[in-house]
Amino acid sequence: MSIQVRNLTHIYGKGQPDSQLALENINFDIYDEEIVGIIGHTGSGKSTLLQHLNGLLKPEEGTIVVGNDEITAPNFPMRNIRKKVGLVFQYPEYQLFEETVALDIAFGPKNLGMPEDEIWDRIKEVLEMVDLDYDEVADKSPFELSGGQKRRVAIAGVLAMKPQVLILDEPTAGLDPKAHKSILEMIQRVHEKEKNIIIFVSHNMEDIANLSDKVMVMDCGKLVMVGTPKEIFAQRDRLNQIGLNVPPAADLIYKLKDAGIPMADGVVSMEEAEEELYNYLRKK
Amino acid sequence: MKNTITKKIAIGALIAAVYAVLTIAIAPLSYGVMQLRISEAMTVLPAFTPVAIPGLFVGCVISNLLSPVGIMDILLGSLASLIAAYGSHLLRHNKWLVPLPPVVVNAFIVGPMLYFYYGVDVSLIGCILWVGAGQAVVCYGLGLPLMKLLEKYRHLFD
Amino acid sequence: MIRDITLGQYYAAESVVHRVDPRVKIIATLLFIAELFIVDDFKGFILCGGAMALAVAASKVPLGFIMRGLKPILFILMFTFVLNIFMIDGHILVKLWFIKITKEGLLTAAFMAIRLILLIIGSSLLTFTTKPIILTDGIEKLLAPLKAFKVPTHEIAMMMSIALRFIPTLIEETDKIMKAQQARGADFESGNIMQRAKALIPILVPLFISAFQIAQDLAMAMEARCYRGGTGRTRMHAMKLMRRDYFVAIGLVLLLGLVILERIYL
Repeated sequence: MSIQVRNLTHIYGKGQPDSQLALENINFDIYDEEIVGIIGHTGSGKSTLLQHLNGLLKPEEGTIVVGNDEITAPNFPMRNIRKKVGLVFQYPEYQLFEETVALDIAFGPKNLGMPEDEIWDRIKEVLEMVDLDYDEVADKSPFELSGGQKRRVAIAGVLAMKPQVLILDEPTAGLDPKAHKSILEMIQRVHEKEKNIIIFVSHNMEDIANLSDKVMVMDCGKLVMVGTPKEIFAQRDRLNQIGLNVPPAADLIYKLKDAGIPMADGVVSMEEAEEELYNYLRKK
Repeated sequence: MKNTITKKIAIGALIAAVYAVLTIAIAPLSYGVMQLRISEAMTVLPAFTPVAIPGLFVGCVISNLLSPVGIMDILLGSLASLIAAYGSHLLRHNKWLVPLPPVVVNAFIVGPMLYFYYGVDVSLIGCILWVGAGQAVVCYGLGLPLMKLLEKYRHLFD
Repeated sequence: MIRDITLGQYYAAESVVHRVDPRVKIIATLLFIAELFIVDDFKGFILCGGAMALAVAASKVPLGFIMRGLKPILFILMFTFVLNIFMIDGHILVKLWFIKITKEGLLTAAFMAIRLILLIIGSSLLTFTTKPIILTDGIEKLLAPLKAFKVPTHEIAMMMSIALRFIPTLIEETDKIMKAQQARGADFESGNIMQRAKALIPILVPLFISAFQIAQDLAMAMEARCYRGGTGRTRMHAMKLMRRDYFVAIGLVLLLGLVILERIYL
């Protein structure tokens, strides 16, 4: 299962006097079971790109191939895209509407025509994946749950459709540190269990560094950098120019280097920074 | 939060805003001869809170203000909404009667408006029936299920 | 999608008409409509049409924009026009089989059509040249005397300005909700009336909940800034009548007089 995007271009507000290039000639590949982190300043086209990947938007030019399907082909049935590619929007808890948690989670699968008994098994499965107790929440109204719980239910609702590609737009937005951590753990758990491709957008560089196999950097509608977290965050100055920063741990190491203290390159995670500092202080 | 005037204004304002959004989203069917508005399903709201009476009135005024219709729609259409909303509120204890005022009031105010003001050349009765029918489909067809759904959230309105 | 709908009919420009006090404009529009119904012949239309042409020219709103405003009623216009031509009895001008076109029919059709066009343009001019928020201010001021009858004009005007402010927010919210449900396989385009109505539930419920949440937060924010209702509230820009407003008012009265005279004597 892989994704190929070629020459993707999207014009926002075509034909109107204030039209602009939302996406300009985007090209990339995503491979089986990869976790991809997308970063970019607000307005760089991240959300637009995500919406192309699940067919909500159609490009002006270019193609997207998911698995064996060219989803950008005219008349390609939306249902087939939605079966493969699941998109979780920002603050997804706002999309909950059903009378019970179970019914809300079942909404997606029902729309895709999943057989009834399969749906109920799947509901139990995904609730477990998002770390919620079936007996406790399944029959409750979604509106009785806490914010963090609601978010998990919303994510579960997308997971229930068994997407081979799971896209999450800022999954940790607005969460307190504990909930933040647990959502990240959940993403990793899902990845291990479902063995799918995960694409996520985040402004939290530490999350990006810790989770991603590959990082893609967007700027003004263009894809400007692609690489491993180490490769990307080694280019602090370039990132700063685009209005982005590096993970806090890396930032500290850079600042020390700027002050003249010899530090190794390619430090990205908290653990690596810890190690570097420890080594340095030991030598003194 | 206490039921202060501020809260009432805020809720009324948002009812108006939702009404306007739903009307605008279905333009151009919402205006002129067609008058098919899914927002009219919201006319069941006065059964839940009296704040919906000015709320729907304001919503109607704004929907007409933001649209290419004549000032008559703004005046008469909104007036019809106000009267209908008040009627729905009065009838709130019988769920089958709640959607009735919007059907009847609009038929007899907007219908003649189409005939006399816009000069639509169907008979007066025809105009009245046309508006009434359109309203009935939305107010009963969409409004009743909406009422059922909102029953659960009744406590939110107090 | 939904986002592409331009909100409101306001055409931004710097013109005298734009600057006239909203209260005067509202009354002017109402008077103009009344005049259009007082007129009973084409000569009266020349009077009204002339006055309106003046107003349109002064407003600097492009003719193309105004014509676009006529699009929605084009259908009624055609419909009425055609019916009038064929249905009214009188001097037969053309006869094709059983279809007849009479002189009276043509005249009536033309009369109705012209009146409708003038009506639409006249009232559109109000919304073209006045921002919605200014309009609500004007309406509030005009309805103020109703306060004596215990009508809560301030509260209603407040609801109007707040609603206007939140409409773009809610439209965006609706758009987001629609996309989120579509991503879950929801389909709003196909099916019969019943199916499509049912498909609206996943949009309406979250929309209502969202709106309600906004209302709660808003009320709290307002109270935190000491809002207590309309008593004793002042404004930052007080509405004052200027010279141009008085000119317009005089012009209006003149026009009304002329129209009435025209009807009686010509």
